[in-house]
Amino acid sequence: MKELHWYYPETLADAETLVRQENVLPHGGGTGLLLRNLTGVDSLIELSRLPLRSIKVVDHNVEIGSACTYADVVEKMAEIDPGHILIKCLHHSANTPLRNRITIGGSVAMFPPWSDLMGALITLDAMISLTGKNSGDYSVLEYIRDKNLRANSLITTVKFKLLPRKSAHYREIRTKSDMPTFNHTVLLNIEKNKIVDCRIITVGTVLKYTRLAEAETYLTNRRIENIDVAEIGKLVNLKFAGSHIDDPEYANIKAGIELGRMIQQMVRS
Amino acid sequence: MDGLFIINGMQHRLDFKSDERLLFTLRKHGYTEVKNGCLEGECGACLILLDDKPVNSCQVFTASAVEKDIKTVKGIGNLYEPHIIQKAFVDAGAVQCGFCTPGMVLATYALLQKNPKPSEPEIKNALDGNLCRCTGYVKIIEAVKLAAQMIGKGGDRNV
Amino acid sequence: MSDYTIIGKSEKKIDSLSLATGACQFTDDFELKEPLYLAQLYSPHAHAEILNIDDSEARKLPGVVDVFHYQNVKPVLHTTAGQGFPEPSPYDSVLFDMKMRFIGDRVAMVAAEDQKIANNALKLIKVEYKILEPLFDPEKAMDKNAPKLHGTDRFTPIGATYDSLKNLAAEVEIEFGDLKKGEAEADFIIDKIYHAHYGSHCAQEPHAAISYFDEMGRLVIVCTTQVPFHVRRIVSKVCEFPLSKIRVIKPRIGGGFGGKQEVLLEPLAALVTIKLKRPAKIVLSRKEVFQNSRTRHPVRTRLRTGVKNNGDITFLEMDSLLNSGAYGTHALTVLSNCGAKVLPLFNKIENMRFLGRSVYTNLPVGGAYRGYGATQGYFALNQQLDMIARKLDVDLPEFIKKNHIQVGETSKIFEALGEGKEGVVQYINSCKLDECIDIGAREIGWYEKREKKLTNGDKVKGVGMMVAMQGSGIPLVDMASAYMKMNDDGSFNLDIGATDIGTGSDTVLAQIAAEVLSIDLEKIIVLSSDTDRTPFDVGAYASSTTYVSGGAVKKCAEKIRDQILDVAAEIMKTDRNNLELADGKVHDQKNNKCISLSDVAVYSLYTKNQFQIQAGASQFVEQSPPPFIAQFAEVEVDKKTGKVDLIKFVSVVDCGQAINPKLAEGQIDGATVNGICYALTEEYKFSENGNLLTKQFRDYKIWTAADIPEIKTIVVESHEKTGPFGAKSVGEIGINGPMPAIANAIYDAVDVRLFKAPFTPARVYREMQKTGCQHY
Ligand SMILES: Cc1cc2nc3c(=O)[nH]c(=O)nc-3n(C[C@H](O)[C@H](O)[C@H](O)COP(=O)(O)OP(=O)(O)OC[C@H]3O[C@@H](n4cnc5c(N)ncnc54)[C@H](O)[C@@H]3O)c2cc1C
Ligand code: FES
Ligand code: FES
Repeated sequence: MKELHWYYPETLADAETLVRQENVLPHGGGTGLLLRNLTGVDSLIELSRLPLRSIKVVDHNVEIGSACTYADVVEKMAEIDPGHILIKCLHHSANTPLRNRITIGGSVAMFPPWSDLMGALITLDAMISLTGKNSGDYSVLEYIRDKNLRANSLITTVKFKLLPRKSAHYREIRTKSDMPTFNHTVLLNIEKNKIVDCRIITVGTVLKYTRLAEAETYLTNRRIENIDVAEIGKLVNLKFAGSHIDDPEYANIKAGIELGRMIQQMVRS
Repeated sequence: MDGLFIINGMQHRLDFKSDERLLFTLRKHGYTEVKNGCLEGECGACLILLDDKPVNSCQVFTASAVEKDIKTVKGIGNLYEPHIIQKAFVDAGAVQCGFCTPGMVLATYALLQKNPKPSEPEIKNALDGNLCRCTGYVKIIEAVKLAAQMIGKGGDRNV
Repeated sequence: MSDYTIIGKSEKKIDSLSLATGACQFTDDFELKEPLYLAQLYSPHAHAEILNIDDSEARKLPGVVDVFHYQNVKPVLHTTAGQGFPEPSPYDSVLFDMKMRFIGDRVAMVAAEDQKIANNALKLIKVEYKILEPLFDPEKAMDKNAPKLHGTDRFTPIGATYDSLKNLAAEVEIEFGDLKKGEAEADFIIDKIYHAHYGSHCAQEPHAAISYFDEMGRLVIVCTTQVPFHVRRIVSKVCEFPLSKIRVIKPRIGGGFGGKQEVLLEPLAALVTIKLKRPAKIVLSRKEVFQNSRTRHPVRTRLRTGVKNNGDITFLEMDSLLNSGAYGTHALTVLSNCGAKVLPLFNKIENMRFLGRSVYTNLPVGGAYRGYGATQGYFALNQQLDMIARKLDVDLPEFIKKNHIQVGETSKIFEALGEGKEGVVQYINSCKLDECIDIGAREIGWYEKREKKLTNGDKVKGVGMMVAMQGSGIPLVDMASAYMKMNDDGSFNLDIGATDIGTGSDTVLAQIAAEVLSIDLEKIIVLSSDTDRTPFDVGAYASSTTYVSGGAVKKCAEKIRDQILDVAAEIMKTDRNNLELADGKVHDQKNNKCISLSDVAVYSLYTKNQFQIQAGASQFVEQSPPPFIAQFAEVEVDKKTGKVDLIKFVSVVDCGQAINPKLAEGQIDGATVNGICYALTEEYKFSENGNLLTKQFRDYKIWTAADIPEIKTIVVESHEKTGPFGAKSVGEIGINGPMPAIANAIYDAVDVRLFKAPFTPARVYREMQKTGCQHY
């Protein structure tokens, strides 16, 4: 194999020039790159020397530098909003040493079916900033859908609003250090004992992620005393596949039960 | 390629391949205390401290670690001047085959630096990246408690 | 309880500081001068014949030095099982075969200048296969029209039952009493089928071997082995190289659990070094460990028991079908132990039959694994006992206490069923199982929780228990030996063939020597497992080391003690009978005088009538006294989802005198957690064409510290008069309990019987959904 070339840019301007070259890829934590075949890749851009390792809050808008690791986010978000959904999603993700490597940018770009991050970003209506060929701001959903956005572009920041929401995250795992077979992220806006807004995303389905629209509709504008947990379970109709799932039907049943429990917990507390 | 690394407090210039994992670079240059157990990021046998944070060296491209500070288990203590954590592992009977031990010791070191008085759940969670098949973790958890106690009593130079 | 000075003390494991500081070396840590790196090509088909291999492209790749396969390596039939000679396992393997018997069977091997080149060269080897119909279902293996895996040239060197035309790797049948009579007497019969599944040892260090010629032209093999002397013998045979020219060294080993009782890589490295006269190195990846090394044998057990309403068990019939996979390594002995290590525990049953068959299938290969058949057998027996007690409406612990074997008793099984051959008559000298049961029941809160179904929301609690025995070595088979000599300063070299694979046997054996000589542990310098330097030992298996090797060390140290006293008598001009060893000195009890051991050593080496104080001793055992264990689980089952949470697990073990209690506890802790993971999360899954899907830790889940509930291990000491200082064994027994104890606890919580593990949420949920499940 021919040697890869490594770039170590220190400014975003340099990074932008580099990312526009042919056959180059950004390197965040490398945990995803190590799994893939790098034939056809000429060079890697190491992001850790860029000023992308900070988390800023301006006017209730949070901006996370793409080179922040899962551990960075858990630590720094705790200072900003100790109950934030991102902390719940990431603090048990993968395992301790991996959380010191896995970056936000790499995890958005890769979006594996076991991602603990993406459910939260979707529910938060998060935006990402790209630099390079497709410089500009995009919603996370656009970025997921439009594969062309990836070419010669570097994610620099992930942005979302700080909103007072009840939130919960559930990981379906066999042991504590496991990639979840699926995970649920739920955001609820409860006003005067009534759910006025709700977001539910399940990651790990055949479509990689699914928005649980029926459950959302059921819950929206419902008073919390009128919520029937069993009913929520019935509204979950998720498709799972893959050799790691022995019993897709059971996975769906489990997803329904666990979602019901999450909602129950959230409205109770 | 080659690059400078600070390993266990000393500067070294090491050569490596552009797609090489840090684990292999370290082992090739004699740091065989860093073990290869899976290459998946699941076992923690290859755990080192990179800029003081525990990481799996098998999940790190060497090229991404140039100019960084690396600590292996030999960097915190040796046979002649063992670190308190290493002594605690010995005293607690937490070392059976010892293959997981360098990683366990470093994960403990990182934990106690951040949190000198960890609760039992905090200890268990901090070791969630290290597999051990010999001990069932029982005496390893005791060793971490013992180390925290010993350090708390003002025992050590490093922590 | 004892007046020992070092026995029964939790001395620090002698290599532990070196391990904790990263100083100790494992096989892959040794530096070799310009070694060749080896990589293996594996069959992508479960069952196929190789029509042709074309390695020309691979050989052209720069850096490739040689390619090995059936066309250029002489086939020598052997077994890879590292057992005594002649091995009880069939000779059904050659290094490179023309026939492929599972996905992962070895096709070829490349030797190259670096590992990457070797790996890349594999892709350039062109292999033409004729695909054959595969056989995956062990139940169908003996059918007339089933595909046949092995030819009629395969055989067993010990003449045991073997029939390659029936895919039968081993068969054992014993019967005593009168089954018909037992059936007639029974008020009820319970007849159930249990499945114990595949498992991987998951020793954290993957298998590895290096080989080189030393400066005298002798072949040195450093390898991850539990059985260095068997490695030497088998490599000599397979590579047709004189045994006298082979030296096998065992460095530190990163766990074995049976997986390294297999001679897999050593002949490959040796082959390369012998042919190319260069050092060679082979290290398995984790995927190779899962797929291409060895596993726990899956066993289907049908258990029939007849019971009278008064609680008497009138007959027991156990029919075990062991899936040996593609080769028959340990197929006979693991099979035998399904009965031999299990059935004697209930020796009051007068009518018994055990029928065991091991069959070939086109799946990964079974081998030795901690528990060695007992784990599979106890899964069945202990659930059946739980059912019987429930049906009789009696307390399970009390029922077991009435029925298990006691001191002074024997079982016909001991005599009828050995490891691959007839057994040995044995009487129980020590058994504190009743005490173990009582302590365990108290510790788990048995009487507060059993059948109470304590409920919290959707979650229900339950408790379950089990009992087991194991052995301590293989009687009339195992032999171990030790050599000692005394040095100027009163220190001693202890050279032992015994193999410390992380168990702490170097420490335990040194403690035995130190106790005999009344000296500090530091005075014993241990060298173990070097076929040139240390005397013979069968190796680390069958829970033999403390009992058998320990016996050898004790004898050897006693001979040294006698010599020391002789010399001291000469120095002190007194009668030997007045002398005693204590605190590292020789005391004359008559006049309170004493001299140091170094005085004795210096005298014997330099002063007068010079000679080396030294001795060798062997231990050959006629008994295999069983350790006993009672294990208890408390679980909480989610009634809605089937998820099982383990709350607490208690093991109470009688291992005779624990030479080093901390190390003994460590053995039980480790075995227990291994068993827990096996019961709840570990699973081999296959695709339809027999491809293993779970060959990474991310798929095959073993637990981390974060998953561990309260684990409690209690050692109850007894005294085994045939063991060194009263010791029995402790290495394997703890792994037997979790599967049946947890299954019984799940039943206690939700009335669901699990005949198959792992007890995943999906499986438990599906079982709960089934209507008409029998309630016992
Ligand atoms: C054993 C293991 C377990 C894991 N478990 C989990 C888990 O439970 N939950 C979870 O959420 N994750 C988990 N992960 C992490 C996940 O699988 C990915 O490896 C990770 O999200 C990738 O992040 P990274 O920073 O390492 O990316 P990299 O490997 O650096 O990059 C991945 C991809 O993204 C591109 N990229 C990187 N940074 C940028 C950027 N700033 N802009 C544009 N493109 C970029 C790269 O070019 C590459 O194509 C696990 C990983 C491992 C190895
Ligand atoms: S070798 Fe790196 S985590 Fe296992
Ligand atoms: S001590 Fe052997 S793996 Fe931990």
